[in-house]
Amino acid sequence: MNSNFNCKTCASADQKLETFISNLSQETSHHRMEGQSVKCGFGLQGICCRLCSNGPCRITPNAQKGVCGATADTIVARNFLRAVSAGSGCYIHIVENTARLLKKTAESNGVLKGKQALAKLASLFEIDESDEHICAGKIADLVLADLYKPDYVKMELVEKMAYKPRFDRWKELGILPGGAKSEVFTGVVKTSTNLNSDPVDMYLNCLKLGISTGLYGLTLTNLLNDIMLGEPSIRLASVGLRVIDTDYINIMITGHQHAMFAYLQDRLIEDDVIAKAKAVGAKGFKLVGCTCVGQDLQLRGEHYQKIFNGHAGNNFTSEAILATGAIDAVLSEFNCTLPGIEPICDELKIKQICLDDVSKKANAEMKPFVFEEKENQSNEIIDSIIESYQTRRGEITLNMLPDHGNDDTLTGVSEGSLKSFLGGTWKPLIDLIVSGEIKGIAGIVGCSSLTAGGHDVLTVGLVKELIAKDILVLSAGCSSGGLENVGLMSPSAASLAGPKLRAVCESLGIPPVLNFGPCLAIGRLELVATELAEAIGIDLPQLPLVLSAPQWLEEQALADGAFGLALGLPLHLGLPPFVTGSPVAVQVFTQDMLNLTGGQLIIDDNAQSAANTLNEIIEKKRKELNI
Amino acid sequence: MKIVIIGASAAGISAAKTIKVAEPDTQIVVISKEDSIHSRCMLHKYLGHERDAKGISFVHENFFAENNITWLKNTTVVDLDTDKKFVRTNDNQAIYFDKLLIATGASYFIPPIPGLREAKNVYGFRDLKDAQLLDSECKTAKNAVVIGAGLVGMDAAVALLERGLKVSVIEMMNGIMGLQLDEKSAEAYQQLFEEHGAEFLLSDKVTSVDIDEAGKGRTIHLASGKSVCADVIVIAAGVRPSFDFVEKSGIATKNAILVGDDLQTNIKGIYAAGDVIGISGIWPNAMKQGKIAAINMLGEKLRYEDRYALKNTTNFYGLATLSLGNINPKLKESFDVLIREDRNNYQKVVMKNGIILGVIMQGNINSTGFWQYLIKNKIDVSGIDKDVFDLSYADFYKVDSISGEYLYAI
Amino acid sequence: MKRIIIDREKCDGCLNCNVACISAHEEGSNFYTVNLGSVDSETRNFIKFDAKTGYTPIFCRHCDEPECVLSCMSGAMEKDPVTGHVKYDESKCAACYMCVMNCPFGVLKPDNKTRTKVIKCDFCEEKQDGPSCVKACPKQAIEVKEVSR
Repeated sequence: MNSNFNCKTCASADQKLETFISNLSQETSHHRMEGQSVKCGFGLQGICCRLCSNGPCRITPNAQKGVCGATADTIVARNFLRAVSAGSGCYIHIVENTARLLKKTAESNGVLKGKQALAKLASLFEIDESDEHICAGKIADLVLADLYKPDYVKMELVEKMAYKPRFDRWKELGILPGGAKSEVFTGVVKTSTNLNSDPVDMYLNCLKLGISTGLYGLTLTNLLNDIMLGEPSIRLASVGLRVIDTDYINIMITGHQHAMFAYLQDRLIEDDVIAKAKAVGAKGFKLVGCTCVGQDLQLRGEHYQKIFNGHAGNNFTSEAILATGAIDAVLSEFNCTLPGIEPICDELKIKQICLDDVSKKANAEMKPFVFEEKENQSNEIIDSIIESYQTRRGEITLNMLPDHGNDDTLTGVSEGSLKSFLGGTWKPLIDLIVSGEIKGIAGIVGCSSLTAGGHDVLTVGLVKELIAKDILVLSAGCSSGGLENVGLMSPSAASLAGPKLRAVCESLGIPPVLNFGPCLAIGRLELVATELAEAIGIDLPQLPLVLSAPQWLEEQALADGAFGLALGLPLHLGLPPFVTGSPVAVQVFTQDMLNLTGGQLIIDDNAQSAANTLNEIIEKKRKELNI
Repeated sequence: MKIVIIGASAAGISAAKTIKVAEPDTQIVVISKEDSIHSRCMLHKYLGHERDAKGISFVHENFFAENNITWLKNTTVVDLDTDKKFVRTNDNQAIYFDKLLIATGASYFIPPIPGLREAKNVYGFRDLKDAQLLDSECKTAKNAVVIGAGLVGMDAAVALLERGLKVSVIEMMNGIMGLQLDEKSAEAYQQLFEEHGAEFLLSDKVTSVDIDEAGKGRTIHLASGKSVCADVIVIAAGVRPSFDFVEKSGIATKNAILVGDDLQTNIKGIYAAGDVIGISGIWPNAMKQGKIAAINMLGEKLRYEDRYALKNTTNFYGLATLSLGNINPKLKESFDVLIREDRNNYQKVVMKNGIILGVIMQGNINSTGFWQYLIKNKIDVSGIDKDVFDLSYADFYKVDSISGEYLYAI
Repeated sequence: MKRIIIDREKCDGCLNCNVACISAHEEGSNFYTVNLGSVDSETRNFIKFDAKTGYTPIFCRHCDEPECVLSCMSGAMEKDPVTGHVKYDESKCAACYMCVMNCPFGVLKPDNKTRTKVIKCDFCEEKQDGPSCVKACPKQAIEVKEVSR
């Protein structure tokens, strides 16, 4: 016997990480997969209903309806819409906070680092205002006003932001969203006990939530953050557990709301704070990226080189990052902050502070972020982290993995930075697509999960298959965290691409997988897609572009997926979203959606065959465009 | 028909039970030197005062009466006449039989070491009588020495520790329970025993024993030059099949009574089972042999095929271990030796060409019964696409559609 | 004798049989109150799963030739001549785990907490209406049937 927690951890596409985790004496999610390996078939198919006390009802061969009479189709649709509503709610919470912070920053004449983003939104929203703070305030007001509209009043910015052909189609289908917060409310009401039983109505409602989620929760969150925190710019960066520098007081950040760290991350590198760190024997403070907010910081890393040490890993790497023992505090403001980090933090005496009560961890200190008190709050946070550092370092044995990850991950890719890289126009990319040097584009988005073969196994497998077929991959979400740690976002990964894509990558010095950062950046992918379609003069479904969330994890991903389908894009998922118990759901998602929006759901947990399917779709679209 | 069974442990009792279920009218006489039925595998529970003599019985209190079996207790057989078909007992009774089952087991062996055989405080740990004698010694003794760190020695040690004695264990091999365990799994137990106060003298052997005026062995001298003090000595250095009474009977023997696949000796109508036939000295096999011999005595022709005896389970201080087959291959290079371990488990699989030859599962032994089947039947697992440690019966699952019993799909 | 007949194809892995078994052996509990959060809540039936084989219900067969009984050296395991079911008497058990080793189907296991007894199906013999797992299966993947011995 040794000190390992147990014999069996799940596989990971990241071999070094897999070995590291399997040798840990702490329990992680990777250890818990084994115990949860028998999944309930009713749950997997979405045909268990817990909406009333006559239940839980399950659909079986001998009981084709719930007590109330709900069929499998109704039960699945209700469960699905509930999940999409919740997922939408999460993203709308993020954009609401971000808009509020922008408004307060503007009102207090705070720092606005992203001039281009400001100008872009001002022009999009038709705001003619030369004072940047007033302009930013107006932008925030417009966003907030839309979010707070009732569900029967349509949001005004939708038409300004959406691509015209898409907007027209949505209008035709009657799925233009009302106030985004109210739409979540409606989704919840619709799916309560003995209310809506019409699966088609509920799936259309999902699309509506997809639109509000995508345009506001995703796209606008990025752009509002860019105004405050600066636009992404392309650079090479270090990733993986190697980024943790034990000489510093290390703070791991988790969540999705970068703006909440805006003040703190600048404060941490001021002289008096560094002096405090030095007084206790550290060189200073470092932020260690984890989950999407880490990706956000990485994306804007150009502006934060002194404080940000790099992105260490995705959601299911967080426990391993903490288990190194070199993290002194966790600052979290949203998901994906796994409950599994709590016992590790307790054991290793890691201070946990939550800035937003929606993600309050059981054993963490709650310190709700208040804009007006950010100076004092930051000082208190700094002091308590210094205290944590003093009590734990020296006492805790470090377990580092310095050869994990790499130093040449290409980051900072966005709709703006990519276009600048191409010379301020999309033409070079369009030319490459037309000539077939790049066969098409796959947006690999969404989460990281431990299913479908293990941690990032399907994501990495699928990406390797796609690039080998000369398909350029753009990635956003925790999937990026896995892809970068295994080296697929390093320029040298070009050697894994098909001959044509490889030549393109090598001539430009870029990897075949471009890192757009957090899941929020799915909104940026949509901007890229829209701008490409616009430049060519076609609608989105005609583009040789596919989406895949191979290892989607959570309700938010389902809302993202609804956005993808509303955009009319083919969407691949590794595992079905608990809908296969309903023939109507299967029909709607895999067939009827083509006629509704042009979108289509493809379920396949095999990297090779999924890549073949996506490749066929791209080839078919190329043919239809005569290229 | 009258069947005489000599011996009332696993094989003898299992045979008697089988006969009574199959043909209740058969007349059965069981002859045993003991006056109680007990399971030798539970003697440590008796010595440790966890159970009384009744508590270590493996049959119902009125087993003989309920089944209408004649039981001659405190009786040994001194002679066997195969022509006239009778056995003679120590009290000079002649007991005639139509069929005879010899299930006299084995007895412990005291190596010819100066002082050891002579000492009056040397006990085996084989029968209830041994345990009772040890029990009375424990009332005054403070230092116990156990010679031999096999399963029996460790059983004795655990009971003596329970009784509060200081226990030293002497073993020639460099680890304990060397037949059941490998180095690593043995270390886990050794540590547990040491935590409970035991002292181990490994890779060492007894050279002589000093005897005091009362005739008790007091100082045990070892080859290493060390010496150990003893108030009581337990000898657990192996057993020999017991069959003195057949010497002149014409029954073929070679260190044990020789039997065919039907468990019959060279003399028609005389069968033998259990430790006395020396082929697989563990409880489950003795039970099975008793059962098969019984059925054959009733006229069937079953063959004893389950000779697989390289198997054991160990459970000391809450640490359980399953060990099967060849767990310590001599030429390591020519085998695949796979190890998986964590803080609660140590697992080892020895394989060659997809065939599993040996298994150790220490810690969690849940649902591990299928391993024995795989080893015994030399099932090739190389075609199963998963980590060998993750195998389970589910990989071979098959149901008999009529009886609903499980089968193996191979 | 009565035996729980398994239709593997019907099993959906909901683990209701596990919950029912734990509840049946936790006095006074029901599906609402049964303690599912403690290691000493033990199920006597198991569902194994992997992608290749699907769900595999592992339930004690109360075998015609029970290896567990043959290997028992304490008399704790006995095949009831009337019902045909293999009964386990915890008070007699010496926790040697020979039965765990000898059950060819891996049904038996030591108890999690104390490692002093064996976890073994008792066919819910104290219950009038048969095994709790069977009643709890929503798919009728397990059924009690009379089989000849």
